[in-house]
Amino acid sequence: MSAERTVKSAASRKRAWGPRMWPYLFALPFVAAYAAFQLYPVIYSFVLSLHDWNGIGSKTYIGFKNYVQLWTHDPLFVKSLWNTLIMMAMFIPVTLILGLLLAYWTFHLVRGKKLIQTINVLPYITTPVAIGFIFSYLFDWQTGLVNLLLVKFGWAQEGVYWLQNPWSSRAVIALMVIWRNLGYFMIIYMAGMTVIPQDVYEAARVDGSSGFHTFRKITMPLLRNISVFLVVTSVINGLQLFDEPKLLYGGWSGSVQVGGPDNTALTMIWHFVDVSFISDTRFGYASAIAYSLFLLIVVFSMLSYRLTAPKEDSK
Amino acid sequence: MKALVWICLIVISLLSLFPFYIMIVMSTHVTEDLFKGIPILPGDYLGQNLHTVLRSDFLRVYGNSLTVSVAAVAIAVMTSTLVGYAVAKFEFRGRKWLQLFVILTMMVPTQVGLIGYIIEMRHLGVGNTLWPVILVWAAFPFGGFFMIQFIRDSIPNDLLECARIDGCSEPGIFWRIVLPIIKPGLATLATLVFLWSWNNYLLPLVTINKATWYTLPVFISNLGIVHRTDYAARMAALTMATIPVLLLFLLGSRTFMKGLTAGAVKG
Repeated sequence: MSAERTVKSAASRKRAWGPRMWPYLFALPFVAAYAAFQLYPVIYSFVLSLHDWNGIGSKTYIGFKNYVQLWTHDPLFVKSLWNTLIMMAMFIPVTLILGLLLAYWTFHLVRGKKLIQTINVLPYITTPVAIGFIFSYLFDWQTGLVNLLLVKFGWAQEGVYWLQNPWSSRAVIALMVIWRNLGYFMIIYMAGMTVIPQDVYEAARVDGSSGFHTFRKITMPLLRNISVFLVVTSVINGLQLFDEPKLLYGGWSGSVQVGGPDNTALTMIWHFVDVSFISDTRFGYASAIAYSLFLLIVVFSMLSYRLTAPKEDSK
Repeated sequence: MKALVWICLIVISLLSLFPFYIMIVMSTHVTEDLFKGIPILPGDYLGQNLHTVLRSDFLRVYGNSLTVSVAAVAIAVMTSTLVGYAVAKFEFRGRKWLQLFVILTMMVPTQVGLIGYIIEMRHLGVGNTLWPVILVWAAFPFGGFFMIQFIRDSIPNDLLECARIDGCSEPGIFWRIVLPIIKPGLATLATLVFLWSWNNYLLPLVTINKATWYTLPVFISNLGIVHRTDYAARMAALTMATIPVLLLFLLGSRTFMKGLTAGAVKG
């Protein structure tokens, strides 16, 4: 025991300078790169958000005017926030419930477990561009497969304008997100299920619990942390929704309609990108949008953590 | 009951696969036929469609995407592994802070600094090139977090201590002991970074507006505006853009799943 300690201290005395320097050297590339390429831009964007600037001319300092205008005089921003929240309300519960069910069923399979898992994760790894194209084809008014099927089976007289109606366009976007994320939710839940010790189930079976009862009383509560993680991350990602709506309206039909019909599919990031790079170059104003979004993300993720975390933990 | 579960599983799985099937089938038809009805079976026009795609800038764009993803993987894996090793296996002043820093960085969405980043890139003189799309991976917060966990769990402290007593230098330990042991972790992180950088759409969309430097997602989404008639060719292009990640996924699906679930189950 004491011999070991002497060896250790002797060794540490010998490399007194060396080991003290190395961890800092190892951490340096990451920290420096973060400071240069992420932290600096984040701070710079905040400074910009206090200015009026079109990217070329001179900057004018206007304080928090951008923020005031954004929250009180920009109906489009409020609408984009509203749209984003509606779509999140559509896809988060569905993905959560379906993902859990899918994971539960697949987990208890004897055969084909891996196959089902692999197939269902495929959408998650696909390029969003492909998803946008495929869905805008499927739901196209004239040539879309969905309408062709509806008419063929006589469920509709003529094609439905899926992408031109406020509610159905949001629903299609929600469907894209669900389709893409379901497999991801499933494997996260399955990973959680492997951590649950099997003797808990044994005990439950001995006590006469089975099937749905076991699922509701044991599996679901034990997966609570996983559900909280999934809700919080999907709230964070949901507020940043952009690829799906943008590509849905820039895909098959080829039109470059910003925001979908009457801006009902405009999300906050889409609005941000549009204001800063597409329709306009109001960098200061757009930065204010980005920061407002960041603030919302912080608030919403804290809120959803509070709401979904178990009571004991949220104290 | 069992049969019902199976039916549900099969239906959901088919729904997952269906859009892929449509995409592939559509890329084997003549565009005009796509308007006539539902293509159920593959046609024989794939060669022609591929020809159309290859006649455009497709190969160069493909090369761009590959460059970006390979560079992103190299740079992100390197910085993440180094910082992970430092936090997981050294005792030094500020270690706790560094760990907290890595976790906090995960919570800041990249869009918040997007405009600042683009202006910065312009000032650096690399505005309209592939650099902005690559450099964003230089500090990848999830990578740092993942590597801290992975190195902490997979490398015994005694091993490092032994190597030190035997007189191995610190870089030597990193290179000859740490790296070989964490190969599975490196592979996992590399596949994830490849996937995310390959599929990235927003950043190249707003930083690159020179056709020479387009990456696949931007190129294909713009294809609609340039020649808007040839849908079948576009589907062929999409299929080809999907194939690399699909292959990567099928080759290492276990690694993949591990990486995707890393943040959730531990945290």
